[in-house]
Amino acid sequence: MPNDSPSAAPGRILKAPEGQLDTARLMAARTARRSFMGKALAMGAGATAGGASAADGDPAILNLPEHSKGLGQGVATTGYGAPSKYEANVQRRESPGLTRVPQASVSFCPLQGLFGIITPNGLHFERHHQGWWDVDPEQHRLMVNGLVKQERVFTMDDLMRLPSVSRIHFIECGANTGIEWNKVALPSVQYTHGMLSCCEYTGVTLSTLLDMCGADLKGQRYVLAEGADGSSMTRTIAMKNALDDVIVAWGMNGEMLRPENGYPLRLVVPGVQGVSWVKYLRRIEVGDQPYFTKDEEVHYVDLMPDGLHRQFTSVQECKSVITTPSGGQKLLDRGYHNVSGLAWSGRGKVKRVDVSFNAGRSWRTARIDGPVLSKALTRFNIDWVWDGSPVVMQSRAIDETGYVQPRINQLRAVRGTRSIYHNNAIQSWRVAESGTVYNVQTT
Amino acid sequence: MRTQRPFVAALLALSACAALAQAKPWSAIGRAATPAEIKAWDIDVRADFKGLPPGKGSVAQGELLWEAKCASCHGSFGESNEVFTPLVGGTTRADIERGRVASLTAAGVPHRTTLMKVSKVSTLWDYIHRAMPWNAPKSLSTDEVYAATAYLLSLADVVPADFTLSDKNIAEVQKRLPNRNGKVFGHDLWDVAGKGDVKNAACMAKCPVDGKVTSAFPDSEWGSNGNLADQNRLVGPLRGVVANGSK
Repeated sequence: MPNDSPSAAPGRILKAPEGQLDTARLMAARTARRSFMGKALAMGAGATAGGASAADGDPAILNLPEHSKGLGQGVATTGYGAPSKYEANVQRRESPGLTRVPQASVSFCPLQGLFGIITPNGLHFERHHQGWWDVDPEQHRLMVNGLVKQERVFTMDDLMRLPSVSRIHFIECGANTGIEWNKVALPSVQYTHGMLSCCEYTGVTLSTLLDMCGADLKGQRYVLAEGADGSSMTRTIAMKNALDDVIVAWGMNGEMLRPENGYPLRLVVPGVQGVSWVKYLRRIEVGDQPYFTKDEEVHYVDLMPDGLHRQFTSVQECKSVITTPSGGQKLLDRGYHNVSGLAWSGRGKVKRVDVSFNAGRSWRTARIDGPVLSKALTRFNIDWVWDGSPVVMQSRAIDETGYVQPRINQLRAVRGTRSIYHNNAIQSWRVAESGTVYNVQTT
Repeated sequence: MRTQRPFVAALLALSACAALAQAKPWSAIGRAATPAEIKAWDIDVRADFKGLPPGKGSVAQGELLWEAKCASCHGSFGESNEVFTPLVGGTTRADIERGRVASLTAAGVPHRTTLMKVSKVSTLWDYIHRAMPWNAPKSLSTDEVYAATAYLLSLADVVPADFTLSDKNIAEVQKRLPNRNGKVFGHDLWDVAGKGDVKNAACMAKCPVDGKVTSAFPDSEWGSNGNLADQNRLVGPLRGVVANGSK
C-alpha cells in the first residue's frame, strides 16, 4: 500500500526523539516513510520482535503490549494522581542565570506542552519575592482596615462561608517577555512567554468584603493588599478594579490554592499584572492615596526613552503567541500542521486572532472553538500546510475594545527598548528548512 | 422535653427565614479587629509618612548594622551585584539638585540601582522595615530601620556622614532624593478602560512590512536554558531541539 502523502503517513516510524537524528538520517527516514517497504528499511531490514516481522506492519500493533495482556493497577494506588511518567518533560523551569537566589526568582510555565486554556495547578508559573510557605489555614487571618466603618478580621472559616464566585482568568507577570525588548534572548516559548497561566479561581469578591466592612467610597480611594510572607508584598489596587471583579480567592481549578500560589488565600486581580495578585493575603487597607510600595517604586516601573519611569502600569494589554510550533521545537514532517496558540487581554475578551505565515505581509483569521472569556486565555487554531521552505509565523490578537496587538517596532517607537515591563509584541517564529523553529524578530 | 422539639424546630425555621429576608444575611460574618491587632499588622508607611512610627537612627549606627546584617548580600557600600541588583551607584550631586537621574538616559550604565529609581524615601523605610533582612524580615527595631535607611542614603550623598534620620526630618530628606521627579503615573496602563499608547492596524493583505529578520536565536545558544529535547513532550508533531553541551 504505497502512500505518497507524507502528511497522511500513519503511525510513527522513527523512535523518539527524532530530533536526535542528524539531518541526513532524518531526511532519509522521511523519504523512506513514503513507502511501506521504506518503513521496513527505516526500522532496519529484518527487524523482528515477538515473532512478527516489521515487514508485516507496525510491531506496536502486531506484538500485543503488556498492558493488553496483563492485570493493571487498582484504584487509589495514589491518593492524589500524578501525570504519566512519559510526561516528565513537561515541567516548570527556572531560566539559568536570571536570578541569583531561588527564593527571589521565577519558574516558567511550559506553554509549549499545554492544551486548551487551563493551566494545571502543578505547572502554574511561580514568582516568589522572599520564598514560599505552606501556611496553616487555621491560623491564617485576613484583616480589613483603613477607611472603613468597622475594621474587621476574618478566619478562613469565615471567608469560606461567604457567597463565592468561580471565574476563569489569566495571570501574567508584568515582566513576561521583558527580556526581549531589545533583541531575541531566549530559545523557547516557555522562557519568552511562560510567566503566564490561567485558572478557575474560587473566592469571595473583594467588593463583598468592602461592603461588609462599610468601606468609605467618597472621593479618591485606593486599596492596599498585603501578604503574610516575609516580603509582605504590598500593592496598590485601583478602587475601580476592587469594586468590579477582584476576588479574594482560596480555590484554584477546583482545589485549594497551591502553596506556591499563595495557599490559603490570594488576591485575584483580573487583567492586572501578576505582582498585584498578592499571595498569602493577610490585609486589605482602604486609603485615599496610592501607597508607593517597593514594587511600585523600584520594580514594576517602566523606563521610557526620556528617562522618566511610568509608575502603576498595571493592565496587561492584548497579546498572543503561537505555542505549537514554537521556538526550540523541530517539526517532524512537512504537510499539514494544526498551528495552535493563546491570546488574552487585560481589558476584556479576545475578539479575533489572525495568523501570518509570511512575517506579517498577509494574515488569515484563526479558529476559536473553545470558551472566549473576559480577561482569560483564549485558545486559537489554524490549518497550515508546510511545503518545507523557510517560514516566519506570527499571531496577532485583537480585543473587544478594538485594540490590535502591536509589532515590536511599534512598541519600541513609543517606549524605547529599556522598559522591561509590558512587552506585548507580536511574536515571530522562524521555521527553517530543517524543521527547527527559531525565535526571531522581524521588521 | 421530647414534645417541645417541633416547637424549637419551628422557631429555628422562623429565624432562618428572617435571616434570608435580610438583604445580605452574611454581612455580620467576621469580627471587629482590636486596636492591638491593627497596630501589629498595619505597618505600611505612605509617601505622606502616614504610618511612620517616631524614632531615629544615625548614619554611624546604620553603618554598624549594615556590616552585620546587610553587607553579605548588598556589599559594604550597597554596591554589590552578587545576590541582588546594586542599591547604590549611578547618581550624582547634580541629580540631587535636579531630582532627576541623568544616568537613566545614558548609554553603558551597567545597572539601574535602587537609588537611581526610587522617588519616595518612605518606600525605602517601609520596605526595610517589612522585609529586611532577607532571611529575618521584620526583625529590625524602629530605630534600626531609621539607621539602615540613613546609612543607605549617605552612600549616595543624599545625607551627610554625621546625619541622624528621624520622623522629624525625613520630609526634608525626601526633597533630596536623586530621582524624586523621575516618575509619571502610568494612567493608560492603570485604568482598565485605557486605550493603549501603541497603535497597530489589523491589515490583512499586502501589509506594509518588509519582514526582514533583525534578530534570531543562534544555534550556538540552544543549551542556554537546558536541553530543549528534555523539555518537550515525547509524542506529537514536534520534538525539542537537542542541545549539545547544554547546561
